Amino acid sequence: MRTSSPYRANLLGLAFMTPAMVLLLGFFFLPVVLTSVFAFTNMSTATGISGGSYVVTGNLLRSLTDEGLDAKTIKALRQSSYIIDQAGLEKARTAGVDAKFITEIGERLKDRSFTSSSAFERELKTLPSRPTRVRDLKIAASAFEQSVLNVRYASRGEMEAALSHMLENPPQGAVEQIATASYTGWTWTTENFKNLVIAPDTWRIVGNTVFYVVLTLAFNVLVGLFLAITTFYLPSAGSGFFSILWLLPRITPVVLYAVMWKWFTWEDGFVFNIAQDLGLPAFNYMKGSVASAWTVVILVNGFVGASFGMILFSGALKAIPVQQLWASEVDGASRWQQIRYIILPHMRWPILFVTSYQTLSLLSSYEQIWLTTNGGPGSTTTVWALEAFKTALNNYTGNLQYGLGAAMALILVAVGLVLSIVYLRLFRFDEMMSKPKIEF
Amino acid sequence: MTVLPRFKSAILATALLASTATFAMAKDVTISVWAGGTGPTNDYRIEAIKMAADVVSRQAKIRGEDLTIKIESQAWTGWDDFKQAVTLAAESGKAPNIIVSGHEDIGPWSQSGLLRPIEDYVDFDAWPLNQLYPNLIDVSSYDGRIWGIPQDAEARPFFFSKSHLKAIGYSDADIEALPAKVESGEYTLYSMLDDAKKMQDAKVVEPGKGFMPRPNNGTDYWQFYQSFGGEMVDAESGKLVLDRQALTGMYQFFVDAVEKGVVPATYLGMTWDTWHQAVAGDKAGIWHGGTWHKAEWEAKWGLKDFFGQMQYSLIPAGNEKGRANTITHPLVYLLSTGGSDEDATLAAELITTASEPYINALHAVKSGHLAIGSAEATIPFYANDRWTTVATEGLLPKANAIPNNSDFGIVWKAMYKGLEASWTKTNSVADAVKAVETEVRNALGDKIVIR
Repeated sequence: MRTSSPYRANLLGLAFMTPAMVLLLGFFFLPVVLTSVFAFTNMSTATGISGGSYVVTGNLLRSLTDEGLDAKTIKALRQSSYIIDQAGLEKARTAGVDAKFITEIGERLKDRSFTSSSAFERELKTLPSRPTRVRDLKIAASAFEQSVLNVRYASRGEMEAALSHMLENPPQGAVEQIATASYTGWTWTTENFKNLVIAPDTWRIVGNTVFYVVLTLAFNVLVGLFLAITTFYLPSAGSGFFSILWLLPRITPVVLYAVMWKWFTWEDGFVFNIAQDLGLPAFNYMKGSVASAWTVVILVNGFVGASFGMILFSGALKAIPVQQLWASEVDGASRWQQIRYIILPHMRWPILFVTSYQTLSLLSSYEQIWLTTNGGPGSTTTVWALEAFKTALNNYTGNLQYGLGAAMALILVAVGLVLSIVYLRLFRFDEMMSKPKIEF
Repeated sequence: MTVLPRFKSAILATALLASTATFAMAKDVTISVWAGGTGPTNDYRIEAIKMAADVVSRQAKIRGEDLTIKIESQAWTGWDDFKQAVTLAAESGKAPNIIVSGHEDIGPWSQSGLLRPIEDYVDFDAWPLNQLYPNLIDVSSYDGRIWGIPQDAEARPFFFSKSHLKAIGYSDADIEALPAKVESGEYTLYSMLDDAKKMQDAKVVEPGKGFMPRPNNGTDYWQFYQSFGGEMVDAESGKLVLDRQALTGMYQFFVDAVEKGVVPATYLGMTWDTWHQAVAGDKAGIWHGGTWHKAEWEAKWGLKDFFGQMQYSLIPAGNEKGRANTITHPLVYLLSTGGSDEDATLAAELITTASEPYINALHAVKSGHLAIGSAEATIPFYANDRWTTVATEGLLPKANAIPNNSDFGIVWKAMYKGLEASWTKTNSVADAVKAVETEVRNALGDKIVIR
């Protein structure tokens, strides 16, 4: 008799799991790892993501002066001159400058020097073989430039070599100091987290986020449950219709859904006109007051979540042995008693699942808020995820702080993980998922 | 093989070779242009490049070159998405050849290596760049290099509804004298609040529409900082400056405006459409905007008689420390590091040609922007336009610009966040100023002078 190897079974299992593992790796672990890496950097629009170069600029020289770099070195770095020598002619040849033009430069301007590019270029323009294109003239001129100022070097080595060439007897460590300060790219830092803790704004946004998650979650679960139970008691045709109706917020494309809410709550919109007819205060409810803006934000997200709860709860309701309900009716139980003593105890697991799942998804959701109130009026409805998105990827000034935004996102991941563990413990998911004690 | 096929083959080979030579001479180049803040009234930001491409192709043809330039363009009406798109496209090596953006982007974008310094590609001693206004060249420069070519200029004035001023007792002469009173500092932001309140009390404007500032973030809010004596850059050290006193004055002014009931606490975040509708439809008392808004109000919002309906002035001073002022926020043509050096050379040539006064005047007059050079201001098409002329002569000389500094965005973001917080009364003015100070001090350390 052939016995199957346990290893082979394990390998088969692994093979089945591979696609899921790849997806998990690509869509969860990798973004988390990247976010973690970004969070410990000062990456921004100015530093770029892919790495920087080494440039000595006027502003840098000013800050190096503040740092105490000696005046002689600063003066030498500030100098820019154009010297027509053999090395320059060679450099021009390598840069592909027209040979005839180089000859003329050599013959007519040899050993002369200029203190500004415009003066040198004006002189070059007087030569008979001057190029017709401005760019060619500039390339020719740059070959004779004797300066490190505003020249971009790709590596630290190149910058240090150029500095050593420019500076005669620099003070000890000056070249290294300048090279380090001239780096334009990002560096590792823990400042993002420190700044978040210190910033007074942080706690206001945390407060907003807690307020938003708790109220929306309550709406999701309670309305979802209410819908599931009421449709359960309806005839199947009617319940199907209502279920589909309540699914609309979930299946409508998010942008369209947000536009519909705008039409609903905006000036001259649906609610506005009704309020006006009834003599009630009519204004832009989405942005006109903090209370109405929060109401809109919670309802917009609440309806999407409620339909999710409704689906799960409806499924769970169908699994309740119908004999128990019949028996209770024979005993004269009211609808409320059926709900309280039969339905709700059966619904414990789905309620806990919806609560934990929705907490995590609400914590990281921002798109509906972005498309409706955009965190306003002012920044009163700004939540953590929206602020992280705006900080890292989308703001008016175009100053994208990838590092700080990633730090905010990482905190969100950490909070999500902690909450997941709390939920697992609190609701004893392991017991619910354990094997049944009775074998069938 | 017979002689004939060989002969045929030779003819075929010659024909093929000749056609290759023709193809080699013909040159097709695609230049991409992305422009931010560009709607239907300012489409010449891109159209000018297309016109320049036509001129440069014709010049090439006359020189005997067969050059076909294809312009691929994308226009964004807003700034958030545009700046995100440019930055991320550049990071993935897909930046457009030409970027039309605000001059303040030069700081961070030049540091990150996103831009080529345009001075390496064009000749500022030659036409048409030699007639550009020197202050606009300064605005397009950063750290000693010229990175961009100014695409337009503007001023951001205060506007008053003439009919509503009359309703609260202003005579025609008073209205005429108002801009001078603003400039001298006699008429302040607080005088304006009083007038806005009077207009509401006289029921000529609805409550909350007496004063209608810009509905969202923008350069404009730095004007109010200047009205209370704020400076953005320390002239001596070149460092950024945060003036706590000016910021307090500015935040307090908007809180006072809310207290007075001339602007709602929940005003910020209102849509542009609502704002345009109110100010162009004479539903607002006093507001501030840009010189270019006149074109939009006429084209889209039914404004018929601009000079009959509105008076304009500098932004009034807030207190005796501040000054009446206006900010110009020129957009600039920038060359990205994307594409080859050859493409960048051609792109720079197109930008230079697009800066030709006759071409740029099309943009200026159509969009209500101001000339970028002295020659453009003399072109009859521009000079005969009343609004561009009065704005060029009356407002532009008094305008200053926000700094080109790679860290300015951090200060700006914090300033606006503080404004939102105090305006909506989420924070007190003192706490909002403190929050801004904490944020910029943490982020910038010694790079900013906090006064």
